[in-house]
Amino acid sequence: MKKTLMIFLSLAVLALPLLAGGAQEEEGPITIKFWTHEDPNRTTIEERYIAEFEASHPGITIERVTNSSAKMPELLLTAFAANEGPHIFNTQIEDGYAYIANGRVAPIDPVIAGFKSNDELRDSYVKGVLDAVSEDGNIYGLPLELTNWAPYINKRIFRDAGLDPEKDYPRTWEDIVAVSEKIVKREGQIITRRGFDFRYPYYLVSVVPMVEQLGGKLISDDGKTAIVGDDAWLKLLQFMADWGPSGLNLGSPTYKNARKLFNADNNDMAMAMSGLYQEGRIRADNPEFYESGDWMVIPFPQFENAVKEVASAYYGHFYMVNSQKPEREQKAAWEFITYMLSHSEEYLTEVGLIQPTKKLMSSSTFASIPYADVFASDMEKGNIVYYAENSAKIQELIKEAIEGVMLSGISPEKALASLKVKAQEVLDQE
Amino acid sequence: MKKTYSGIEKKLSRWGWFFVAPSLFFFSLFSFYPILNAGFTSLFRKKILSLKPPTFIGLKNYIYLLQSDDFWNSIRATFVFTIGTFIPLLVFSLLLAVLILNIKKGKKFLQLAYYAPAVLSSVVAAVIWMSIFDPRGLGNQILNFLFNTPGIDHKWLADSTMVQLSTILVYFWKYIGYFVVIFIAGLAAIPGSLYEAATIDGAGKWQSFWRITFPLLKPTIILVSVMSMLQCLKTFSTQYLFVQSGSPQAPINVITLNIYNTGIRDHLIGRSSAMSIILFLIMLFFTWLQFKTSKADDVSY
Repeated sequence: MKKTLMIFLSLAVLALPLLAGGAQEEEGPITIKFWTHEDPNRTTIEERYIAEFEASHPGITIERVTNSSAKMPELLLTAFAANEGPHIFNTQIEDGYAYIANGRVAPIDPVIAGFKSNDELRDSYVKGVLDAVSEDGNIYGLPLELTNWAPYINKRIFRDAGLDPEKDYPRTWEDIVAVSEKIVKREGQIITRRGFDFRYPYYLVSVVPMVEQLGGKLISDDGKTAIVGDDAWLKLLQFMADWGPSGLNLGSPTYKNARKLFNADNNDMAMAMSGLYQEGRIRADNPEFYESGDWMVIPFPQFENAVKEVASAYYGHFYMVNSQKPEREQKAAWEFITYMLSHSEEYLTEVGLIQPTKKLMSSSTFASIPYADVFASDMEKGNIVYYAENSAKIQELIKEAIEGVMLSGISPEKALASLKVKAQEVLDQE
Repeated sequence: MKKTYSGIEKKLSRWGWFFVAPSLFFFSLFSFYPILNAGFTSLFRKKILSLKPPTFIGLKNYIYLLQSDDFWNSIRATFVFTIGTFIPLLVFSLLLAVLILNIKKGKKFLQLAYYAPAVLSSVVAAVIWMSIFDPRGLGNQILNFLFNTPGIDHKWLADSTMVQLSTILVYFWKYIGYFVVIFIAGLAAIPGSLYEAATIDGAGKWQSFWRITFPLLKPTIILVSVMSMLQCLKTFSTQYLFVQSGSPQAPINVITLNIYNTGIRDHLIGRSSAMSIILFLIMLFFTWLQFKTSKADDVSY
């Protein structure tokens, strides 16, 4: 009996460090890993928010890591696949939805955000903004940005081509072609100055709306049929074939990124498609150009025979929290996100990002941003980008079809037939 | 009791196993286990982000692939790239090695110059060449200068055929030096006395090459052949970066790129594992075939 008691006491003593460690873990310091995409303008303000948050929350450390927006989806995916995802991340909703669907992210407690209920939290944003991150009554993300695209114009190049930018800016896609043909310069077949070019990898955002203008759809209303409206899709594919190297050669997926060329103002890119955030980047990359007033933003073009007025889709980068982290760390992460997003006016003025709360959208700050009205007006005509677990694959299939007609000489009919079959297969697997 | 001693060969063997054990352990851990794991995963339907247990589907992933046009296009792209790169690599690296060893001055410089690209990552190599292939880059400038055709755009990154050639050029440029160095080492191992004897007997350079150099170089040729073939079969970065930069994917959608896209973009980790097993079997088969047809063991000095 005495021996048994001694053994029991020994085991109890050995267990104490484990219990103490467990208790200490619950009360110890927290390090929040925060992954986001590169944006120098945003880095400046978020580093300040981190310092402020850490000062007001002793014991919490935020480690902010940036990666290119192109690389973020795969870095996140491989990290989460290894169950080593960061506490906080943001990614475009067409990539991020899979994390919600697979239970990888944690819902926000509306109290943390300063609201009594999820409905109250939703109501603080413009209608529909949080729909993409809402499942089963919970909200799984808060928007870093909701962005749509519109053409930026270099007025100087327009004038050089004999055009008045205020009067001759393109209203239709047919105008885009005509204006581009006037602006383009070549040395033989080699383009040295482009009028306009598309943002080729992101077909869901700016090309699908072109199809919708013509009466087509990516997915039917009942969600069962992919690539609806053959005539619309054929017209779109023919338009792109005519645009590319095999046609008029006004642009190509293989040419340099239009937005970066636009910022440099080196007389080689007259128009580029981008969001409100591009203003901040122009200011950062080329302040002289920004201050010159020789740039402007115009509404998203419409086809002459459009049956519906549709502007570019808007996509959201939503801050989300990893549900595999301990609950107290999730709570700390959401507190930090809430703190960052309490500075929506600064995100708008310093970075050009729209976090569409009702308060912001009705503020004088928003009204004072150059061309904010153009983006706001277009956003009312756009839809949220298609998002599902298969979003990336669907976009890839559209890419394959468009680049097939532009670069490989595939006929629009053949490209469409292939797209329909493959997209339907993907949709059926969902 | 008198101690019994083993034979010396047995003792050496035991020590051999002892010394090779760490390598076997690391190979098992980092190579063999992943192969087995991929094989196992290929029998299931699993999405990479899913927290649910995977669903056993037997060989359905393989059946799907064998019926998939995209997969067979990847097979085509892989073999076009491999044949288009590996054969020139083999031939030109041997020729360059012979040339370098036969010049009197600048051997070291040429070896260094040829080898330099090999130390670059594939990413860096691809980025360099994409600048060259840009419509306003050196590729068009040089060709148009040589052929006196100013302003022609050869569409290195856009045309379906040219983009395949472009990826081959990048890979060839990157690896030619590496294999040149291997051939130089192989050539240096051939005794000079054989050439001296041949010269005394009246053999010329051409005869010496085909009667002495080439036959005795067979082990090195096989080594380079296998290595370059495997390197080409598993190419990824070059094609990936070309596609990321806007080049059409279908012409250069090699198996590895398809594996990557299936697993990372489509989240279908079971199917991508099946594809990787198929690639492994292809590599295994062609390696076996090369050893089978070469009779490398026949070489002796």
